[in-house]
Amino acid sequence: MNSDAQLKRFVPSPARKPKDSEMTVLRWIRSRCFNSVGNSILTLLVLGLVFYVLDYALNWAVFDAVWHASNRRECMDISPGGACWAGVIDWFNGLMYGRYPIEEQWRVNLGVVLAVAWLLPLSCRSLAHRSLMLVSWIALYPFLGAWLFLGGGFGAETGPFHAILTSLAAGFMAMCYVNWLLAMLKRPSLTDIIYPLVARFVARQTHIFSLLLVWLVFSGVAGGLLSQVALAPVAIERWGGLFLTLIIASFAITMSIPIGVLLALGRRSKLPVIHWLCLLIIELVRAVPLITVLFMAVTLLPIFLPSDMELNKLSQVLCAVCLFAGAYMAENIRGGLQAIPRGQYEAAQTLGLGYWMTMLLIILPQALRLMIPNIMTSFISILKDTTLVSIIGLFDIMLMARNIANDKNWIGLHTEPLAMISILFFVMCYGMSQYSINLEKRLKVDR
Amino acid sequence: MSQFNEARATVSEAASRPAIRIDGLNKWYGAHHVLRDVSLTIAEKEIMVVCGPSGSGKSTLIRCLNHLEEYQEGAIAVFGHELQRDQKTEKFIHQTMGMVFQNFNLFPHLTVLENCTLGLTWLRKKPEAEAREIAMTLLERVGIAQLANRFPGQLSGGQQQRVAISRSLAMDPKIMLFDEPTSALDPEMVKEVLDVMVNLAQTGMTMVCVTHEMQFARQVADRVVFMEDGEIVEVGPPEQVLLNPQWDRTKAFLDHIL
Ligand SMILES: Nc1ncnc2c1ncn2[C@@H]1O[C@H](COP(=O)(O)OP(=O)(O)O)[C@@H](O)[C@H]1O
Ligand SMILES: [Mg+2]
Repeated sequence: MNSDAQLKRFVPSPARKPKDSEMTVLRWIRSRCFNSVGNSILTLLVLGLVFYVLDYALNWAVFDAVWHASNRRECMDISPGGACWAGVIDWFNGLMYGRYPIEEQWRVNLGVVLAVAWLLPLSCRSLAHRSLMLVSWIALYPFLGAWLFLGGGFGAETGPFHAILTSLAAGFMAMCYVNWLLAMLKRPSLTDIIYPLVARFVARQTHIFSLLLVWLVFSGVAGGLLSQVALAPVAIERWGGLFLTLIIASFAITMSIPIGVLLALGRRSKLPVIHWLCLLIIELVRAVPLITVLFMAVTLLPIFLPSDMELNKLSQVLCAVCLFAGAYMAENIRGGLQAIPRGQYEAAQTLGLGYWMTMLLIILPQALRLMIPNIMTSFISILKDTTLVSIIGLFDIMLMARNIANDKNWIGLHTEPLAMISILFFVMCYGMSQYSINLEKRLKVDR
Repeated sequence: MSQFNEARATVSEAASRPAIRIDGLNKWYGAHHVLRDVSLTIAEKEIMVVCGPSGSGKSTLIRCLNHLEEYQEGAIAVFGHELQRDQKTEKFIHQTMGMVFQNFNLFPHLTVLENCTLGLTWLRKKPEAEAREIAMTLLERVGIAQLANRFPGQLSGGQQQRVAISRSLAMDPKIMLFDEPTSALDPEMVKEVLDVMVNLAQTGMTMVCVTHEMQFARQVADRVVFMEDGEIVEVGPPEQVLLNPQWDRTKAFLDHIL
């Protein structure tokens, strides 16, 4: 054996650059699109087709289109072969808000802004209780929104319970914003500020009590302020257009996850009653077209409910759509659950985490992450499926669009409203899919 | 090494209260009889190495100890506490025993630090700062404090296994179970994990290790168990079982791996 001094010293050889293989655009095109006779013909054919379609579409939608006219006849006279966007523009307000009174539409806009604003503090990673913000958005925002959109005296029409929940929602949002501001100023949060005070009275769970205290104080103030505001009542029948579509879609999308999780866990449960019940719900709902579920919700649900409890059509539809979306989501989530190796359950079990903690802290975060593409596909199809509610007479964007053709000024104007809706849905759905790709990338960076 | 073993000997004599007592354990997978009348007593602070050919039931045995597997016959008592299938027992087991797996089973969506603090904050209800401090101390002890904010996927196998050990230790167990902790590792990483285990042994932890690292067994084990076909063939101090086996099967196995 050689002694250390006699051993040869290993020096790694320097890394070399690969041969220069820079791709110019021209070379790329030649090597990918014109590398054989067949491929060249195919490329030219496709190019021709694209040109033909684009030429037709652009002429119709842009160059020959009519933007200003007072009725369809005028459109035809100006340009018979072009799109008559004037009708869509004329009805634009209805497409967005349905028959919501024009002077009250600011409430809808405010509601949408608040919904987005509620989630903004989530972008601040140093903020505590970020998951609580998300949960509260799902659990509380609907009450704030409902109050804004429905109007009427504070708690006068919808009951004191609703008023309390609305105050809690407003208080929570205000608290989050103050905490966000404090975090940006690098100050301790409100909860931390009153922590020592609370610690004098409660020894255990002090943190939670501090949080609750701050929240309650904010809610009290918010409730006091809101009770001074009188909003003109707007009946649900007047809600419509994109506004209604978004309400139904966002409700179904947010509820589909918790419902889906519960159904998926139930389906995997070892307790036979729960297993069979969830299996039955999932299979039944998935086997039936959404339209029948919607009709059943409108016609059957009132029969099952006690007679003094009357649900409006929107609530019935929301129930149906949530159930439908949840059943589909359950199968997505179950797929994700099955992909989690058994070792994860065992590791959680040996730590002593019980069933719910294992699921919430270990399994579901991983399963949901794995299923992001599928979940987003479901979200997109939920958004598009909501247009079916027009069939049972809710004035969502689809029914408003079809109504344009019945307007005596715009008789028979079918294509343009539908084209406009297609563009709108494309923008929304494409945005969602891009967001999901972005989310996937970001979560992968973490690994 | 002899010095180390002497220190250990006094430890195990002073505390010979049984930590684990296994009595006539039998387990079947369907008709497949995988544990056959296994009886074994492990003293407090004892370090027991379990070895034997693949499929001999080593994993099954230690997984029975902390109820990851069910068994059909026999009894197991931990610190005199007879194990039953009820909530109280489950809780007791998980508080008393930690387990380290062959393929680490870290939680990939949590950072190294979060892996270690998870149990402390959610089960022991420690405040976040205190949990972090405990976890950091343990991570320092296994030499990976500087990686605390990485995700498991960014670590080498040896580092992951050391995190897994810290994660178990954070719950302050009295007994540690190891199921082939180094089998999934590249040779260069085996040592760093074994070093951590040797250190742990010196602190007086009761340990049951399924491993084929005979060097480790000779260095720290109080007793070595050799299993074959679900039965315990031989039990004894490492010098006896490893150097002077009584059974042909043990000798054949040892010749094979040494
Ligand atoms: N989940 C299971 N289902 C059926 N048989 C199993 C299962 N797990 C292990 N076995 C069988 O039990 C025996 C012991 O396995 P194991 O304890 O993993 O052995 P070791 O860890 O010693 O390699 C093997 O024959 C194996 O095939
Ligand atoms: Mg094994």
